[in-house]
Amino acid sequence: MRMEHWWFTARLRLRSILLARRVERELDEELQFHLEHKIAEGIANGLSPKEARYAAMRAMDGLEQRKEEMRDMRRIHWLTDFFNDARFAVRSLSRTSGLTAFVVITLALGIGMTSATFSMVDALIFRPYPVPHSSDIVTLASTTHDSNLDDFSYREYLDIRGKTKSYDGVIANAGMEAVGFSAEPGATPRVRGGMMVSGNYFRVLGVEPRLGRGFREDEDQVPGRNAVVVLGPDFWKHEFASDPGVLGKTIRLNGTDFTVIGVAPETFPGMLVFGHPDFYMPLAMARVFSTNLQKNFFEDRDDRELIVKARLKPGTTLQQARNELAVLAQNFESEYPKVNRSRGAAVYTQFETRTREDVNWKFGVIFVILALAVLLVACTNVAGLLLSRARARTREIAVRLAIGAGRFRLIRLLLTESLILASLGGLAGIAIGYGVVQWFQSFQNVIFMTDLPFSIPFRMDTRALLASLALSALSALLCGLAPALQSTRVDLVNALKSADVDVPGRKRLWGRNMLVVAQVSTSLMLLTASFLMVRGFQNTLLEGTSFAKDHLLMTLFDPRLVRYNAAQTQQFYKLLAERVRVAPGVQSEALTQNIPLGIDDFEGIAFVPDGLQMPRDRENFNSTMDTVDEGYFETMGIPILRGRSFLASDTADAPRVAVVNEQFAKHYWPGGDAVGKRIRLESRAGTLVEIVGVAQTIKYQGSIEKPMDFVYMPLAQHPVPRMVLMLRSSGDPLQLIQPVKDVVRTLDPNLPMLHTMSYEDYYLNQAVEGPRIAMKLVGTMGVVGLVLAIAGLYGLVAYNVSRRTREIGIRIALGAASSDVLRLVMGKGIVLVGMGTVIGLAMGFALEQLMNSMLFNAGGVDILAYVIVVPSLFLVTMLAAYVPARRASRIAPTQALRYE
Amino acid sequence: MSKPNDLVQGTLDLLLLKILALEPLHGWAISLRLKSISGDVLQVSEGSLYPALHKLEQEGWITAEWKQTENNRRAKFYSLTRLGKKQLESEAANWQRLSSAISRVIQFSEG
Repeated sequence: MRMEHWWFTARLRLRSILLARRVERELDEELQFHLEHKIAEGIANGLSPKEARYAAMRAMDGLEQRKEEMRDMRRIHWLTDFFNDARFAVRSLSRTSGLTAFVVITLALGIGMTSATFSMVDALIFRPYPVPHSSDIVTLASTTHDSNLDDFSYREYLDIRGKTKSYDGVIANAGMEAVGFSAEPGATPRVRGGMMVSGNYFRVLGVEPRLGRGFREDEDQVPGRNAVVVLGPDFWKHEFASDPGVLGKTIRLNGTDFTVIGVAPETFPGMLVFGHPDFYMPLAMARVFSTNLQKNFFEDRDDRELIVKARLKPGTTLQQARNELAVLAQNFESEYPKVNRSRGAAVYTQFETRTREDVNWKFGVIFVILALAVLLVACTNVAGLLLSRARARTREIAVRLAIGAGRFRLIRLLLTESLILASLGGLAGIAIGYGVVQWFQSFQNVIFMTDLPFSIPFRMDTRALLASLALSALSALLCGLAPALQSTRVDLVNALKSADVDVPGRKRLWGRNMLVVAQVSTSLMLLTASFLMVRGFQNTLLEGTSFAKDHLLMTLFDPRLVRYNAAQTQQFYKLLAERVRVAPGVQSEALTQNIPLGIDDFEGIAFVPDGLQMPRDRENFNSTMDTVDEGYFETMGIPILRGRSFLASDTADAPRVAVVNEQFAKHYWPGGDAVGKRIRLESRAGTLVEIVGVAQTIKYQGSIEKPMDFVYMPLAQHPVPRMVLMLRSSGDPLQLIQPVKDVVRTLDPNLPMLHTMSYEDYYLNQAVEGPRIAMKLVGTMGVVGLVLAIAGLYGLVAYNVSRRTREIGIRIALGAASSDVLRLVMGKGIVLVGMGTVIGLAMGFALEQLMNSMLFNAGGVDILAYVIVVPSLFLVTMLAAYVPARRASRIAPTQALRYE
Repeated sequence: MSKPNDLVQGTLDLLLLKILALEPLHGWAISLRLKSISGDVLQVSEGSLYPALHKLEQEGWITAEWKQTENNRRAKFYSLTRLGKKQLESEAANWQRLSSAISRVIQFSEG
């Protein structure tokens, strides 16, 4: 019944809107028809045609009024009114085109910044997984003292899969890693990004392959049996030119032949934020891809490399799933106390997972806060301008009120104006946001200097566009409502009497003063934040980066690509080191599993300091580690502070040794000397390793990381398959490429050299460029905020002066000195700027605390920031007030009194 | 047109729906029909007839269609919709209740 009613009326309204002229014509025709009959009736009754016509018109009780009555019946006048308002607004805005342009640009900057930063936060946190019913997908994580998002081992995954009832499928994947790929068996392998996934991965996620099929369960059951691979959509397009004949083809991954069985659809670029795997392999093929030769992926319960996700059953709550997994984790702990002591488990939603993964999202959130501050300054600016404009229109509004316009109707008219301004600003803002996102995208190749398929995920998509539109509407209301309310609250008699009366009511001035205070305080906060951020970056960037970066060539080897076994691999590295060391131009040589600030994460190590009483609830401690050869510390310029570096005598048969960093030494032996102390690997019963040296703490994973514990193991005692060769040159490091190539050719002509480049270039892009982009962004926001605030303040003071021209003229005529006038005009400005400064300081402190706790972990207050920012802001804003005040003090009384 | 004979508020809707329930008519015919059915007791201002029709149309109770009259003129014919039928029933029932209640009250005071 209601639906039907709605259907009828909606159709009619739509008709009245779209076919307005036709509806109007029909209205005329209908009434005309009636009149003609009435006239004919009158004539038939003996009236003259003229009389009959009058009678007919009289019977209507006013034709035009009736028509209007009928138009109202259509109930669309709110819309036609809106169109009229909009037309009027456009006309009056284009009359003051300069002001309009300023307002639009101001809003565009605010909205553009906000939508660009929103697209960041959206990509980092909110954008749903690209699978059907993505909100049902949860992440299962192992938890420890040190991490609330740890991985599971293969055995643990199988247990979770078999013993939980809350899910429609539990899936697992390893991280995306570099895999040697060749399309033909004979071709030299290239590095591509592959990801191992469980056999049910595509089925549980609900991803239908674009071509072929996904994995079958039985293809992931027997280790090493089914060498099958599913290609990612982009990889298929670029590597195989979207050839459907790729199905059934054999490709070589890390030296093993795999059969292509399917291609993932375009809609599924993968579950990662930044990475888009080129291909997917079953977990059962782990031996081909394993980097850790010490562990058995399929058996060791502490070889934790798997990210486990699951699809919640409909009707099962998150809490039920959490309880179930918590019980399972307790069972693990009691069954396997050795490897699972004080290890829990947690179930996370997508939001919870993303906000635990890394720190990037925190930057996004801080950027959004700053961008919103810019928008707020922009809005107060616009509100101030509209307020001034509305005052100049006092008489027009008074006339409208006097001839009977309702106040609400006038507010609507004025809001329509600000809505149009905000729409224009919003459109321009979207363009700016789009530009900023493009700018981010342009750093794609700079930030990801790698062959792995990473990309910057920030996009101006529908979600970002919707957010921008909502922001525009919100700012229309923010900017427009206060001026609209105020200017329609006029004293009619006074307003009609003069062009511009100002009854200095407290209430009216209060609003405008608040604007100044809000503007000064917000821009102070903005500046402080940008300043702190830039300084925070600089401090943390400089810390712990004293190692060598220049004159270094890096190149990566992975002998698994040519199917070397562990012994062959060891032999290869031994020979490689010996031969390149004497190659022409090489000053020194180093082999390391990972380079500082590289793309790959460092491995973890579990240990127990020998002789230390472990806390009851801990089996061991964890640290990050690297495997290096004896040339590493010298080549990389990392000082050994105490003890010694690795030596050629630290062979596989010699006693096990390790070098730790200063942070590690201070952490476990505060006040004592770590050299000579021993640690046991894994547990109290594990292998003994003696600490022979303490190295300086450097940056390892990222350029803004906090100082972290770190352990180095000698390559001979802790063999790993993939190593980076670092060579120090006397001249251009790229000159060393050819000599190294020659050496490698003598060892194995088929072995590819990967990621061959100057380490300095790599370091600058990887570690410096990213933060520098962030600093630029923050700096820009600070400057934009300041410029807007200055413009706003200048405008407000200048406006005040122009309004009081006559008053000032009288004062001067009566003998006031120009200094008196200056004081009069400036006095108020000083008070307002002062108030704004105090509030802005408080907000700045609050934001600093937030930033410190989120990003830099630097306690305390950065006094320098305030010492620089506060006085400069104060000076600049005072100048903005001084310029118009000075003009006021020079007003010639004769001119001022004639003004008007 | 004199006001005293104007219809009780809301009754015009009922009358129009009732008239259109019999057959589709154009505005002029409706005004003639109104007069002929109710005699001179219920005189409807011709001016208020059209806004009333418009309102009924916007409510979805009646629907309009342009058709040829018997002497070949184009005119807007109104007819009752399904919704209008329901509305007529409920308004008629209302009217019955109201008028019988009022007549009871009047009889009571007389008796």
